[in-house]
Amino acid sequence: MDAQRRGLLAAFGASALLTLFPGATRAATGHDTRFLLVLLRGGLDGLHLLPPYADPACARLRGEGAVDDPIRIDASFGLHPALQQAAMMYRARELLPIVAIAPPYRERSHFDAQDCLENGTASPTGARDGWLGRCVQAMPGGAGFAVAAVMPLALRGSDRASNWWPPLPKDVDPQLLQRLQPLYAADPRLSETFERSTHAATMARDGKGAFALPEAMRIAAQRMSAVDGPRIGFVEDSGWDTHRNQAQVLQRKLAELDQGLAAARAGFGAAWPRTVIAVVTEFGRTAAINGTGGTDHGTGGMALLCGGAVRGGRIGGDWPGLAPAQLNQGRDLRATSDLRGLFKSVLTEHIGLAESAVESRVFPGSRAVAPMAGWRAA
Amino acid sequence: MSASKATAANRFGLGARPGELDRAGDGRQILLAQLREPPSLAEFRDLPGSAATLQREYEQQRANRANRSVEAAPKSSKPLMAASSESISESTTTAPGMDGASARRGRTAGARIADAPNDSAEREPATPAEALRRELRRQQLAEFAARYRHAASTDAPFVERLTQFWSNHFAVSIDKGNARLYAGSMEREAIRPHVLGRFEDLLVAVESHPAMLRYLDNAVSIGDDSRAARRAQRMSGGNGDKPRRGLNENLAREILELHTVGVDGGYRQDDVIELARAITGWSTPGPRDAQEADASFVFRANAHEPGARRVLGRDYAEGGVEQGRAVLADLARHPATARHLSFKLARHFVADEPPPALVERMAQAYLRSDGDLRALYRSLIESDQAWSPAARKFKTPNDFVISALRAGELPVGNEARALIGLLASLGQPVFTPRSPAGFPDTAADWSNPDGLFKRIQAAQLFAARVDAYSSTPYQRALSVLGSDAVNGDFAIGLRRAGSASEGYALLFASPAFQWRS
Repeated sequence: MDAQRRGLLAAFGASALLTLFPGATRAATGHDTRFLLVLLRGGLDGLHLLPPYADPACARLRGEGAVDDPIRIDASFGLHPALQQAAMMYRARELLPIVAIAPPYRERSHFDAQDCLENGTASPTGARDGWLGRCVQAMPGGAGFAVAAVMPLALRGSDRASNWWPPLPKDVDPQLLQRLQPLYAADPRLSETFERSTHAATMARDGKGAFALPEAMRIAAQRMSAVDGPRIGFVEDSGWDTHRNQAQVLQRKLAELDQGLAAARAGFGAAWPRTVIAVVTEFGRTAAINGTGGTDHGTGGMALLCGGAVRGGRIGGDWPGLAPAQLNQGRDLRATSDLRGLFKSVLTEHIGLAESAVESRVFPGSRAVAPMAGWRAA
Repeated sequence: MSASKATAANRFGLGARPGELDRAGDGRQILLAQLREPPSLAEFRDLPGSAATLQREYEQQRANRANRSVEAAPKSSKPLMAASSESISESTTTAPGMDGASARRGRTAGARIADAPNDSAEREPATPAEALRRELRRQQLAEFAARYRHAASTDAPFVERLTQFWSNHFAVSIDKGNARLYAGSMEREAIRPHVLGRFEDLLVAVESHPAMLRYLDNAVSIGDDSRAARRAQRMSGGNGDKPRRGLNENLAREILELHTVGVDGGYRQDDVIELARAITGWSTPGPRDAQEADASFVFRANAHEPGARRVLGRDYAEGGVEQGRAVLADLARHPATARHLSFKLARHFVADEPPPALVERMAQAYLRSDGDLRALYRSLIESDQAWSPAARKFKTPNDFVISALRAGELPVGNEARALIGLLASLGQPVFTPRSPAGFPDTAADWSNPDGLFKRIQAAQLFAARVDAYSSTPYQRALSVLGSDAVNGDFAIGLRRAGSASEGYALLFASPAFQWRS
């Protein structure tokens, strides 16, 4: 281990590392906890969101593309300056950034990596439904809810999951629904979709204009905060693929994410102490800035856990270092932990699923991936 | 296997217009006839080419800069259009001067275009920059309107389906600001001329179009050992720092992963980098380039990485722009490309899980004909599996809307804002896929309760506009779906509808209308 990496590891302090020991399952006592997954599609550059500013390798790799004036949240890492709300949450110990984490997929295709992240297996074709959908299906009750125009892969696989997107203004004639009812009842592939469609669009959209990540997160949080609201939520956003000029692009996108976190906190309201939000992306990007002020597809990404049920205010994950020999294929941050380990522990410790159900149904074939411990507030 | 006209119109076409099922010949013959001659493209006649649009875009940017330097107040300028201001530029995905709020408004095509106030009703433009901005926006709207007007009226709907298939295969998104003005023209200029030709020509036309070169960043990619990079190095004092500009591998990766051999096509990271180097210099004329009137592509020899390249085990001697072309030519003929394209086409037309034997048959036809697309399409429609009653597809929102326009004989006006907004609400905003992989293509992607409810809402909107005097809903259903599909409760409901508009709403919202059977 070279001096630089040793220094960084020392700076974390052992207690700050997410240990990979399978902790005793501390199943949530009540069944009123909430879990919202936020998927940033396109491969967010974790080194830009959470720059390891103290690492000399970072300045060398990033050059002019380095983040100016990160918010120094510990001796090694800073948050991007657009993340003001997130920084406040970090100080309130409600935000836990996790470094060098990724789904088990190790290639460089966005779409395969997203499928892998969403289907909860080690392969893009490993399952045709999603781990959140299977989670809802394994829960004794409760529902799943996605703010998305089409049902995302992550939430497929449960008849208790629904999606929502701002509706068209036109009211539907009840007689038309009556006449359609027998036609759809006779169509095995669509009968259930139709039955649920008539309940799906009852939410009116308040306000006009932008429908971007902050509003999607606010709506998800408000919906989930209801007493019998969906316990599992999903929000997605695209536009995080930054092959060029990423400083400008991410300035805007990270500000949206920051507003989204604040909007979700407000939206969850009284449910916030029982809430965990996970912000994830399908992979990281190259450690060095490329020829056009951006970065290309890499492996080690990052995740943010956020919420009243999170023991935040520190950095999680095992930092692999940025020295040439420490990089994956000499190009990008190595992934040192598997996102499934994080998800598995959220489902057992926070949602209260039995470990056996998680192992057999939600994340099949993941026995070797230990749940992460120590992320949850007492 | 009998090839019914209703299947030809609904599974391979865009949904029948009244009268379409009365054509001579069986379904297979009707489709083969469409492959013989390129269809009339009268709807697109008055649209400007990309080269002219590039010049207008640069004019707009110049006017905008002039405007800003005259008026100190930045809020007086609000460029919404593209942002590539230099030939090899550091342009942003958001136009310069565009504030965060307007950037967010621009999240979907529907939001971007449908929410915009009607230009013709607006006050006089305040500045020349503003006038140019509006002109470019009107032009973009006209492009989209022409696309849907053509789809709604064409007599060669199979060819139009194929065109839109390739447009989605080579997806570009207007979410990327500097590609925004060219997504529609890429379909018109690069795809339509080659849809009945050879895949190699289609591939080269797409990869050298400004939309693709900007969307996947190749327009600004520079070889690390190119003359341009070495000059930049000297200018920076030659202190050994990494040059500020250099290679961008985005387009090369997607050519391999999405456009040709596919993600399982056996390429590695080295192949991505080598292909990226081979196509360095493939760019778009900048404001300072003296251009022939119709050029929207430029090869920048100074930006090209010199030397021989090795891609997928083959060597390519240095040859300037021809080096990249040679790689594309081989990729177009690669067996993995044949399988990848055949699978996607079979999945698009026949079934979410297409029969492997059909895919193999198509791939062989493609390889035997040296990548002739007509031979590929013929092998699809000549196979019995393609006509099997078990084969059927759930319409995408785009297919659903076009088939309703055709069945209802609904006109598409020049503005088409409402149509574009509707497609965004239904989850398939025009030219705005969430990634270069394009819009997904299976029932699981589109058949969800929220989406179905919005189709029912849209069905009512369409139904209210159908000319009720031309036929009854029942007759209309027979004439667009065929008699096999209109029976039982469906037929009874169509006959008993309280008004023509209720009947048409039932037709468009029915399960039979959601499937391409």
